[in-house]
Amino acid sequence: MKKGRLKSALKYGFVILLSSVVFLPLYWIFINSFKTTPELTSPTPTLFPRTFTLEHYTNLFTRVNFLRYFFNSTYVAVISTFITIMLGSLAAYSIYRCRYRGRKLLFTLFLSIYVFPRVLLLIPLFVTFSKLEIVDTLLALIILNVTTTAPFSVWTLRAFFTSIPIDLEDAALVDGANRIQVLFKIFFPIAAPGIAALALNSFLLCWTEYLFASAFIMSNELKTIPVGMSLFLDQYFIDWGMLMSSSVIVALPPIILFAFVGRYYVKGLIAGAVKG
Amino acid sequence: MRRTSQIVRHIATRFGKDPYFGLVLVIPLLIWVFGTLIYPLVEAAILSIKNVGYAGTSGRYVGLANYVNLFKSPTFLRSLWVSAIWTVLNVALQLGAALIAAVILNQDFWGKNFIRTWIIVPWVLPSIVLATLGKWVLDPSLGVVNYLLKQVGLTNTPVSFLSVRRLALPSVTILNVWRWFPFFAVTLLAALQTIPRELYEAADIDRATPFQKFIHIELPGIMPVLKVQALMCFLWAANIFDTIWLLTRGGPAYATTTLPILVYLKAFQEFRISQAAAMSVVMFVVLLVGSLVYFWRSLEIEWEE
Repeated sequence: MKKGRLKSALKYGFVILLSSVVFLPLYWIFINSFKTTPELTSPTPTLFPRTFTLEHYTNLFTRVNFLRYFFNSTYVAVISTFITIMLGSLAAYSIYRCRYRGRKLLFTLFLSIYVFPRVLLLIPLFVTFSKLEIVDTLLALIILNVTTTAPFSVWTLRAFFTSIPIDLEDAALVDGANRIQVLFKIFFPIAAPGIAALALNSFLLCWTEYLFASAFIMSNELKTIPVGMSLFLDQYFIDWGMLMSSSVIVALPPIILFAFVGRYYVKGLIAGAVKG
Repeated sequence: MRRTSQIVRHIATRFGKDPYFGLVLVIPLLIWVFGTLIYPLVEAAILSIKNVGYAGTSGRYVGLANYVNLFKSPTFLRSLWVSAIWTVLNVALQLGAALIAAVILNQDFWGKNFIRTWIIVPWVLPSIVLATLGKWVLDPSLGVVNYLLKQVGLTNTPVSFLSVRRLALPSVTILNVWRWFPFFAVTLLAALQTIPRELYEAADIDRATPFQKFIHIELPGIMPVLKVQALMCFLWAANIFDTIWLLTRGGPAYATTTLPILVYLKAFQEFRISQAAAMSVVMFVVLLVGSLVYFWRSLEIEWEE
């Protein structure tokens, strides 16, 4: 009896330790964003603010053009995600549901992009985009983002697409529907959780992207949040309050989306990893 | 007239059939991949045998001179070494931490569904948040790490973790591990949950200790997944740019200049496009060896349906 209780205490001890390692830093950023600057920069850290202030949030909109960064990030991420879904779900359907020679080769090709070094793309695409005169435009970022997210989608959708029974499509075909109808009216609605997971995945990748956004964008009014924030970090006197509040804002969209479709997302990751 | 409608009908029925329908669906992505991945790869190889400085200027062909110079350059060789240490440290620590976390999460505890899903949060946040956090906790005058070191009495002079040569790489590594280990923990947890319960029950009858269960049941049970994860982790870690760049810019004195950082520096700060291209090609070849192993393995398992 006593042994069981000790075991249980030990178990919860480890769970609390693990949760603290993961969640405490996040809690701390959140709470720091509401502290006044003197409290924030005092050498003795506090786990809870003595006085609450929203000044770091208002500074983001009065002192720098954070709204512009936010708009750019959202614009790039949403359009890239949309293109990724279009390209990715059609290609995934083709690979998992149609029969033709070479689809295994295609699968390998798309999968191999997963590990393509991104800096390898950086230089030739910079040269090409310079010739096309689309360096320093959001279009450049959209193209670059889709390049990393779209091939990956074939892999993300795998667990979802292969788990849908083919009988439904068969039945619809026998009833006289053509393949395009089957695809859009039967298959994609059933595969919606998978497509939601794909959308989340590609949104996250685009939203967090830093390398391309820092290399391809020069104009301040076209910068995305991560690049805009890195400017705060480069100051000689760092405005910690603004960094904390912008960290909270940039973290919100991923966390909110994760709250809605995170379940499917983790399921997709797991299915991909465990079956693979 | 009649012929046209026949052709249209012919195409319509043909499109409905598998090879054509399938190809039509896959071609947009294929074109995209060729335009933005295969073509740049060729372009990078061509750039690497020229002497282009600024992007957009056209150089002349210099053969393999860039490659020969690379392997004579101490900066490049040091960067290869830094990359190797960075990658090995990251793979070992990320998977080690993930394994421990997965075993903890696999227990039956109150709130397990919540924690098992949300543990992955550090991974969904942008690297700039990690950089902010890292610079903040490691700051010599404001950082909590220095505060704790002082409280414990380990040091009285503040340590500037990110600007001391010997401490910079380990510090960035630990921060990066914090961001990535939850991802691997979640996948390893899923693998743990596929282990049949009977094995544990048999072990209980034999009065096995938790450690024995881990070594003889859990570790062998997740080994196939762990191997694939290790290769993914290796490739991802080798490719990381943003976390290192935001925290240290590759410094101090090149102590954290991994290959991706060096490529970026060469191309966008020293404006030596061709040299940077040559480096990225070398990096690609090195990673390709790892990738081939990875794809060979994953395909073996993947395609049996």
